[in-house]
Amino acid sequence: MVINSNINNVKTKTIGEIFSKDPKIICRHVDVFYGDKQAIKDVSIDISSREIISFIGPSGCGKSTFLRCLNRMNDTIDTCKVKGTILLDKDDIYDEKIDVVPLRAKIGMVFQKPNPFPKSIYENVAYGPRIHGLSSSKEELDFIVENSLKDSGLWQEVKDRLNSPGTGLSGGQQQRLCIARAIAVSPEIILMDEPCSALDPIATAKIEELINQLGKNYSIVIVTHSMQQAARISQRTAYFHLGELIEVGETKKIFTRPKDKQTEAYISGRIG
Amino acid sequence: MNNNKPKILTANEASMIVESSVIKRRKKDARLKTYGRIAIGLAVSFLIFLFVSIFSKGIPGFFQYYVTLDVYLDRDRLDPKGDLSPESLYNGDARSIVLESLYKVINPKGRKEKKAAKKIISTNADVRISKMVLDDPNILGKTIPITFAVDDDIDSFLRGYIKRETPSSERRINDTVIKFVDKLSAENKISYKFSDYILTGSASRSPEIAGIKGAFIGSLLTLAVCFIIAFPLGVATAVYLEEFAPKNRITEIIEVNINNLAAVPSVVFGILGLAIFIGVFGMPRSIPLLGGMVLALMTLPTIIISSRAAIRAVPPSIKDAAYGIGASKLQTIFHHVLPLAMPGMLTGTIIGMAQALGETAPLLMIGMVAFIVDIPGGVTDPGTVLPVQIFMWADFAERMFIQKTSSAIIVLLVFLIFMNAAAVILRKKLERRW
Repeated sequence: MVINSNINNVKTKTIGEIFSKDPKIICRHVDVFYGDKQAIKDVSIDISSREIISFIGPSGCGKSTFLRCLNRMNDTIDTCKVKGTILLDKDDIYDEKIDVVPLRAKIGMVFQKPNPFPKSIYENVAYGPRIHGLSSSKEELDFIVENSLKDSGLWQEVKDRLNSPGTGLSGGQQQRLCIARAIAVSPEIILMDEPCSALDPIATAKIEELINQLGKNYSIVIVTHSMQQAARISQRTAYFHLGELIEVGETKKIFTRPKDKQTEAYISGRIG
Repeated sequence: MNNNKPKILTANEASMIVESSVIKRRKKDARLKTYGRIAIGLAVSFLIFLFVSIFSKGIPGFFQYYVTLDVYLDRDRLDPKGDLSPESLYNGDARSIVLESLYKVINPKGRKEKKAAKKIISTNADVRISKMVLDDPNILGKTIPITFAVDDDIDSFLRGYIKRETPSSERRINDTVIKFVDKLSAENKISYKFSDYILTGSASRSPEIAGIKGAFIGSLLTLAVCFIIAFPLGVATAVYLEEFAPKNRITEIIEVNINNLAAVPSVVFGILGLAIFIGVFGMPRSIPLLGGMVLALMTLPTIIISSRAAIRAVPPSIKDAAYGIGASKLQTIFHHVLPLAMPGMLTGTIIGMAQALGETAPLLMIGMVAFIVDIPGGVTDPGTVLPVQIFMWADFAERMFIQKTSSAIIVLLVFLIFMNAAAVILRKKLERRW
């Protein structure tokens, strides 16, 4: 399974540092096709343990598509094909022997639009642990639910109405509920696909604070349209354009001294 | 240069043109509204006409005329064996006991008059006495007043359908009978009340004792079979086609054919049932099991189409959420997709069942039109269904069957309204917002 020998011997057009000392996910030469159309072209990047990395780029540049490759959510789209190598802890996640169920338990996901299940708040968080059999008793499950809600900063607001529907919460609360649902199964990585794009500035601020907190324990990959958000919360930033990974680097460097002209144009607001 | 040269209108010119066209547009709107109102008015008036006509005929069908007689229940003649068994009572002489009680009131003279008197009371009178004795043997040896249904011709006469003025030779009842009926009326022996037979009786050639219970039970059993077969099959098909089937030519052909099946005339399904279930598998005719199977074939496309629509209407974000947390396909479908799609699927199913309830043609093909007096006790007992019963009654010559037909239609309509109400309530109850 291990393709370690030439893993750091990559020819790529990407500018900046794609490698990491402590990689959690290693992507090499990833191509994604929707039917005949190529959405991702030869992307190679490492994602470290306990780092927050943001993907930025203009609409349709493929950053969401690439994000969805990391937990094989693209499997649900019939026409979508993924080529190349994506290693999670040195195991190829596109290997035939890999089951997506444990993979997605390890790599949680938060979506653009808050999408709680039409069930109670408790059930929303308890669903993951229940289907994966993570708790053996009601007390354990209660504990997991409480902890996840605390970690997502929602506990104080909902502890008295755990049985009311999750869809009755405000947009920001719903999104934090979705984050609680994702961390309830103790993932190693959380993928976030524009988690704040449907929220107002106050809810956004809360989510960002939460992401900062979570970054201490999880690897977080976040796709965002807001460059300020990327600058505020992430340690590393990757800039995508037309399916290609143009530049990767420390967030500070990318935003202050981008090496690539396209990156600079996007960051300064000339394209996007 | 001419004036047709394209040019940009000034705001003033543009607003003038718009103004001038506004009146025209408004008139068109008004016309469309009027057409719509006319259409709805027509539809409503037809509906009212239908209801008035059915109810005006059908409501009287739930009532009928009875004659009350003081009957001496002679133990020896009613129960010759003396063991109170049904056979013994059947062999007893209930009929003549009833007639004797009648003769006491109307005093017929001679054979001819007695023959006429016999026509007054329904042939079912002796069965009624046997039943009463079976229920309570203590009444034997006593004289008690008992009400019997009058014969259908007398009933029609009392309702005024058979007229006194018509010459005797053209009437179904002669002057002697009329004389006796008048006498009974004068003695206050004749009453008009809610029919004992319409809701609890079974098929009969004598309209005064014919009822729809057999057909009603037959309909229930047939629908139950239809639901048990069609619902799981339809939902499973819909789930497979929506969630699992690869998008290729074969799937496409299957989809097109399911849609076409929904438009196939129902009688064709009857022929299919006749050929396959009876012809190949040798199933007995006229049983609700067979009827349900044939109707299931007919309702399947409706259920599949509505279930697919319901499944497709489940927001993809919910499926994403389930997959994103690591739910397997089966878990996603059973925990999230089906519960959300259930109201839509049930609505479609109940609409399909309502169609099946009103269906006659395919059931005629498989022999459910047989004249069956017994009330079916299970899905393998021969039986008939409401619409077929209506069809048969509409075909009978006796005057009283006209009202009974309308009464049966009312029962069928009420049944349908209940099913549709159930669909609405279920949908309201199961519907959840997301």
